[in-house]
Amino acid sequence: MTESFAPGVRVQDLTVVYRTPVGELPALAGVGLTLAPGTITGIVGESGSGKSTLALSLLNAVQPPGRISGGSVEIDGLGDVVRLTGDDLRRARGRQVGYVFQAAQNSLNPLKTVGKQLLDLGRSHDVADLPALLREARALLGRMGLDGGRVLDSYQHELSGGMRQRVGIMLALVLNAHLVVLDEPTTALDMITQATILRIVKEVHRERGLTTLIVTHDIGVAAEVTDSLAVMYGGRVVEHGPTMDVLGSPRHPYTRGLIRAIPRLSGDIGEATALPGRPPTLGTIPAEGCVFRERCPLRMAVCDTVDPAPAAYGERTVACHAVGRPVNLAVRKEYV
Amino acid sequence: MITGTGVTKTYRQRGNLLGGRDVQALRGVDFAIEKGGAVTFIGESGCGKTTLGRIVAGLETYDSGEIVIDGTPMSGLRHRQRQAHFRRVQLIHQDPYSALNPTRTIHQTLHAPLALRARQKGRSKAWAEERARELLTLVGIDPGYVLPRYPHQLSGGMRQRVVIARALTVDPEVLVADESVSMIDVSLRLGILALLKDLRERLNVSVLFITHDIATARYIGDDGELYVIYRGQVVERGPTEAVISEPVHPYTQALLSAIPVLRGVERPGAERVVPTEALDERHADTGCLFARRCPFRTERCESERPSLEGTVHGHACYHPQPRAVIPVEASA
Ligand SMILES: Nc1ncnc2c1ncn2[C@@H]1O[C@H](COP(=O)(O)OP(=O)(O)OP(=O)(O)O)[C@@H](O)[C@H]1O
Ligand SMILES: Nc1ncnc2c1ncn2[C@@H]1O[C@H](COP(=O)(O)OP(=O)(O)O)[C@@H](O)[C@H]1O
Ligand code: SF4
Ligand code: SF4
Ligand SMILES: [Mg+2]
Ligand SMILES: [Mg+2]
Repeated sequence: MTESFAPGVRVQDLTVVYRTPVGELPALAGVGLTLAPGTITGIVGESGSGKSTLALSLLNAVQPPGRISGGSVEIDGLGDVVRLTGDDLRRARGRQVGYVFQAAQNSLNPLKTVGKQLLDLGRSHDVADLPALLREARALLGRMGLDGGRVLDSYQHELSGGMRQRVGIMLALVLNAHLVVLDEPTTALDMITQATILRIVKEVHRERGLTTLIVTHDIGVAAEVTDSLAVMYGGRVVEHGPTMDVLGSPRHPYTRGLIRAIPRLSGDIGEATALPGRPPTLGTIPAEGCVFRERCPLRMAVCDTVDPAPAAYGERTVACHAVGRPVNLAVRKEYV
Repeated sequence: MITGTGVTKTYRQRGNLLGGRDVQALRGVDFAIEKGGAVTFIGESGCGKTTLGRIVAGLETYDSGEIVIDGTPMSGLRHRQRQAHFRRVQLIHQDPYSALNPTRTIHQTLHAPLALRARQKGRSKAWAEERARELLTLVGIDPGYVLPRYPHQLSGGMRQRVVIARALTVDPEVLVADESVSMIDVSLRLGILALLKDLRERLNVSVLFITHDIATARYIGDDGELYVIYRGQVVERGPTEAVISEPVHPYTQALLSAIPVLRGVERPGAERVVPTEALDERHADTGCLFARRCPFRTERCESERPSLEGTVHGHACYHPQPRAVIPVEASA
């Protein structure tokens, strides 16, 4: 058994590029993000903002045609994973960093039972005591409200979406990783199953003493489980801070727009407003100036030429030229 | 207008983890979708929503009951005549990962149905090209970016938008939108919902909307009807706003209680309902279908099955009671 501790993570100046017909384009441009040990951090943002790319970078697992072209990802106990290669890297994945891929529901091998896949995972990590691994898996599945023995004997198609998602979480935890990355863990699940999975994530996080990163396009999901919330746009983290604060008094115009666009169960339907425009794709991210300016109601001259650097305001980090001074209460009122 | 009366569907299943017995996917469902109207079905996974959507789209058979499209009962028709009616109903697939052919570019995917459409309408090839761009713009993506690309080169959200654009290529009269906005970015979700609402108003397209995200049902039009389905039975039904703001069935209340609370902006409802256990297909079929999981069940619930009562806002429960389950503004 490895020692139980929740690692801290420091992502610094991380740049990831994808090769495209018009050359290498950055999906992440100088991203900085700190995960405090023992916390649950959420990453939200629109499709293509770079959430999965950032999450994959924590395992140095960005796939070609992508590559990490600069920066570092320091994980306590592992060092800079950007520099890890070969066997060291393979061992770190699963052992130290557990990962549930986006669309984990479709990522199990359809031809093998869950138990077989678990044994493959164990062998690839040179687990000596495979029966103990199976016991641990059964216990974890039981912990998540499933009949572990039966799930291990099942093929993917015999499991519902919610069950597969829990199998994914089990596989991420079974090697006793203390940093766990969940990419869209509840997307496409119904509300009750989602609530169950989120409760499980919170409980397992607490019981095992983990550092957890959850990627989701659903702000509600992030609101429900995270301590800390990072908002991404166009390959940048544009706002980051304690979840309640970020949602209760968002400072970046993008965060404000996102929150305003959430369909709500109560209140005036007209209050929810779509964010005009659409998120940039790799090819349309502006090379200079603020990446959000095309959609920004507060755009100024400087925004066209200078990419705003993230600046700290107490526990909050915001990258916006309009947030340089104390918060403008007149603008904020409607959000608090 | 499409109506369904007493629609039932049973899947014969071989033994496996989920059942080992037949699954009654629909147990006598009645519904009516007016021309240009909007009907939303909500319920957990496995409760029969997709089955119903596929039946309405003519992609699945039903065992008994009747579907009537614009006055014509479908059961009396021969296969080909029936298909002609069902062609006016387009299903938007719920899974954007498998809905698109991975070996074809988005241009190829949209071109096939549009070229056919152009021939039917006596339009030119250029029209088909123009229409592809128009539809992609309509669903909020940059045609120049996506047209030459393959599905795997697009992010998940973009793929779903392409799927919706493809359904729109045939100018359908009814859209069956099965979980079609769940995968879409929140910023665009309202746009797509507004688009569905707009298509209803401008083109008189009806929408059968199937979703987990109950709040979105409010945004496809305030004249919509909401149906709550549990294990193949409609357990609550009424005007969307009424069912959401004054739900009386414990199952509806459980669904609404499970919706994530925007902490910092909202507080949870004071009387949140949590099912006492997980959904299990093998739960008894005798009394109320929800009895095993219902915190409010009584003896009667376990022996008798309540049926849907009430006209405007109906429910199937022996002990209906309004409860404050939906979140309230944090400042209120
Ligand atoms: N294999 C690839 N080849 C080229 N570009 C890619 C590839 N994978 C991702 N990208 C691009 O990189 C950017 C970031 O993608 P990423 O998958 O990280 O986004 P995301 O925020 O996770 O989106 P989603 O919410 O849709 O999952 C996007 O513009 C995407 O199109
Ligand atoms: N092709 C099928 N064969 C066997 N059972 C099925 C099939 N399709 C659906 N079912 C079963 O019917 C029930 C209703 O499923 P479905 O209509 O997909 O529900 P929903 O869309 O509400 O999740 C579930 O128990 C499901 O497992
Ligand atoms: S830097 Fe300028 S354009 Fe960018 S978000 Fe701030 S105000 Fe808007
Ligand atoms: S009939 Fe009884 S068991 Fe069924 S929902 Fe109502 S109270 Fe619960
Ligand atoms: Mg992603
Ligand atoms: Mg379904």
